[in-house]
Amino acid sequence: MPKRKLDPLPAAAFQILLSLADEDLHGYGIMRRVAEQTGNRLRLGPGTLYSSIQSLLEEKLIEEVGPPENENVESGANPDSQQGSKPASKAADERRRYYRLTGAGRKLARTEAERLADLLRVARAKSILRGDYV
Amino acid sequence: MSEKIYAWLLRFYPSRFHKAYGQEALQLYRDRSRDERGLLPQLRLWFDLLADMAVSLPREYRRQEPALAAAAPQHIEGIPEFRSLDSGESPRPSALFSGACLSLLGFAAISLLISHGRTYQPLFLRGGHTQPTAGARSSASSHPPDSTSGSGNGKVLDPGGRVRDVSSQEATRQAATTQEAAQQATGPQPASLATKQAVQQGVGVPTQLQQAVSIQPRPQDATAAILQAFNTHDIVMLGEDHGVKQEYEWLNKLVATPAFDDRIDDIVVEFGNSLYQKSIDQYIAGEDVPMAQVEKAWRNMVGSVGPVSPVYGQFYKAVRDANRKRHGEHQIRIVLGDPYGDWDHIKDIEDLGPYLAHRDEWYAQVVKDEVLAKHHRALLIMGAGHFLRRNGPGLVEREIRGAGANPFLVVFGTNAVDGFDNLDNRFNEWPRPAIVPLSGNWVGELSAVSITTGGMAPATPLRLADAADALLYLAPRDALMQVNLTRKELDGTPYEKELNRRMMIQTGHALSSVPEQAETPMFQRPLPQRVAAGPHAPMAMPKSARDPLPLRPPSQ
Repeated sequence: MPKRKLDPLPAAAFQILLSLADEDLHGYGIMRRVAEQTGNRLRLGPGTLYSSIQSLLEEKLIEEVGPPENENVESGANPDSQQGSKPASKAADERRRYYRLTGAGRKLARTEAERLADLLRVARAKSILRGDYV
Repeated sequence: MSEKIYAWLLRFYPSRFHKAYGQEALQLYRDRSRDERGLLPQLRLWFDLLADMAVSLPREYRRQEPALAAAAPQHIEGIPEFRSLDSGESPRPSALFSGACLSLLGFAAISLLISHGRTYQPLFLRGGHTQPTAGARSSASSHPPDSTSGSGNGKVLDPGGRVRDVSSQEATRQAATTQEAAQQATGPQPASLATKQAVQQGVGVPTQLQQAVSIQPRPQDATAAILQAFNTHDIVMLGEDHGVKQEYEWLNKLVATPAFDDRIDDIVVEFGNSLYQKSIDQYIAGEDVPMAQVEKAWRNMVGSVGPVSPVYGQFYKAVRDANRKRHGEHQIRIVLGDPYGDWDHIKDIEDLGPYLAHRDEWYAQVVKDEVLAKHHRALLIMGAGHFLRRNGPGLVEREIRGAGANPFLVVFGTNAVDGFDNLDNRFNEWPRPAIVPLSGNWVGELSAVSITTGGMAPATPLRLADAADALLYLAPRDALMQVNLTRKELDGTPYEKELNRRMMIQTGHALSSVPEQAETPMFQRPLPQRVAAGPHAPMAMPKSARDPLPLRPPSQ
C-alpha cells in the first residue's frame, strides 16, 4: 500500500483541520484561527500554510468553496480591524478562496485527536503530567 | 515597497505553486501587514516570512521533484534558482562564495535586530514582572498613595480601590492625606510629564525610553487575552476596581466562556469571607442553599464597611450558572480570600484588628493552600491597590512566587493619565473591554497611580509598566458606572442595622450616605471644600493589629 502524503499527519495540517471544524475560512482566517487555538505558538507563514492546504486538497480532506453568503466582510480576519468594514476589503474578500472540512477530513482530525488523547492518558498514568486540568 | 519585495520573493517558489497560491500568499501578507503595524510587528512579520520561506521552499521543490525531472531546465537571466545536484557533483566555487556572503549578511541582520530590539517582548511570554526603574525605586521608598478621596458624598476609596461609605470628615481627611503623600512622593512634576517634555526636547532620555513612548500598544479583546495568558501562566492576578458595572459585565461573560471554564480550576476572590467556604462550595456546585446563608460570604467581609455592591452576588451566580450548564464536565470553584472574622462575635475594633491587619497574608495563604498545593490554575481577583507592584511585587505576589507560581498581573485602569482633568483620547481607539500589555509602549510609561484611580490621585513617578504586566481597559473614565445597593433596598432592613453597627465599630459614626440610584458614575468630581477643609488625624490602628490571626473556626 503506498504511503500517503499526510501519514503521519503534520502538526500544521492537523491545526488547519481543527481550524476548519467550526466554519469555512480563507487563508488568513485559518492562520489567525491556528494562532488563536495554539496561543500564538504556531503562526503559519504563507509557504507552510498553502503548502499544507495543497496537500489537504489533494487528499480531499478539505475542499474549496465560495465565500459564505451574508458573511462579515472580514470573516476570519481581525475583528478589531478598522479597515475591515471598508468596501475595498469587501472586494478583496470576494477574491479570496475559502476552504471547508470534508467528511474524510473530519474523520482524520478525530482519529488524530484520539491518538493524542491516548498519549495523554499514558502520560497521566506515568505521572508525567501533574494536576487534573489538562 | 515591502509588498513588492515579498511579491518578488514569491517567485522563488516553483511555478506551479506560485501560480496556484501566489496571489493568496500576497493577500495574506497584506492582511498581516495591515493588522501588525509598527516597527517591531513589521520586523516580526518579515522574520516569520523569511523563516517560513527557508522551511517551505525546499519542501515545495521536493514535492515538485518528479515534475522538475521531467521538465526541461529553464533559466531566466538575473533570477536566482534552485537546482538539484546529481550524486557526486560538487557545488561551483562561485555558488559557495555567494552562499557564504548571504549567510554573513543574514547573521549581521539578526545581530542588528537582537542588539536594537530589547524593548520588544513577545506578548504574554514574559515570565515575571519588570524591574522598577531607578526613578520608580526612589519614589517607591515613600510609598506612593493609592487611596484617595471618594467621589460622591461620604465615599472614599480604600487601599484596595474599594468605595467605602464614610462621613464627610473622614472623606476629607483621606483626600487631604492622599494629596500630601502624593506631593511628597512625586516632587514638583510627575515622571510621565517629565518624560514627555524630555522626549520632545530630545535630551536626557535613554533611546530605549524614547522608542517606548512612541510605540503603539497592542490592545486585545480582554477575554482572548486572559485565555492567552493562561497558556503561559498558571495564575492570572486581576487587580480590580470594586463594584464597576462594566468590569463585572465582562467577568460574568468570561466565566460563561467554555474555553475559560476548561482551563481554570479556581477563582480566588477578595469579596468573600473564608468563614463561609462550605456554603459557597455547595452553592457554586449547583446545590440548593438558602440565599440568606450564601450572601453572608460577600456581605460579611471584614475588609468592607458599607453596603456591598450587587455585582458580587451576581458574579457568584454567574459562576454557579456556568457550572450547572457544564454538569458532568470540569467545574470552577470560587475560593474565598477574605479573612474568617465572624461579625457575630466582633464587638469592637480590637476584635477586628487582627483580621484587618492580615488581609493580604491570609489571601496569599489561601492561594497557596487551595490552588498551588493542588497544582491548579486560578484567576485571582482583588483590589488593584493590593496587587500593584510598587517597590517590587506586593505581598500576595511575593508569597505565591515563593511557592512556585508564575503569575501574570493585570490591573484595572482608565484614561485619566495625569490627574482628574487630563483624559487621554488615544484610549478611545481601543476595543472594549481590552487588555493592553504594558511593556515597551507609551501606555507603560504612564503614571500607574493616576490611571488606576481614574485620576482621583495625582500622578506619581511609578510607571504602569513597573506596576503590572497589562492594563484592563473597560471604558473612558467618565463612562464607568458603579452598581449600588440603593437606599430604598436598604432602609429598615436588618442588614442596614448591622451595617450601622459595623460602621460604629470601624469609624465611630453611623452609615451616612447611601445612593438613591442603582447606578451612579464611578468617578465624580470631588467637592473642593472637602479637600480644602484640611488634614485630620488619621484613625488609630487597633492594638490588636499586631496580633496574629486567631485560630480558624470550622467553615459554615
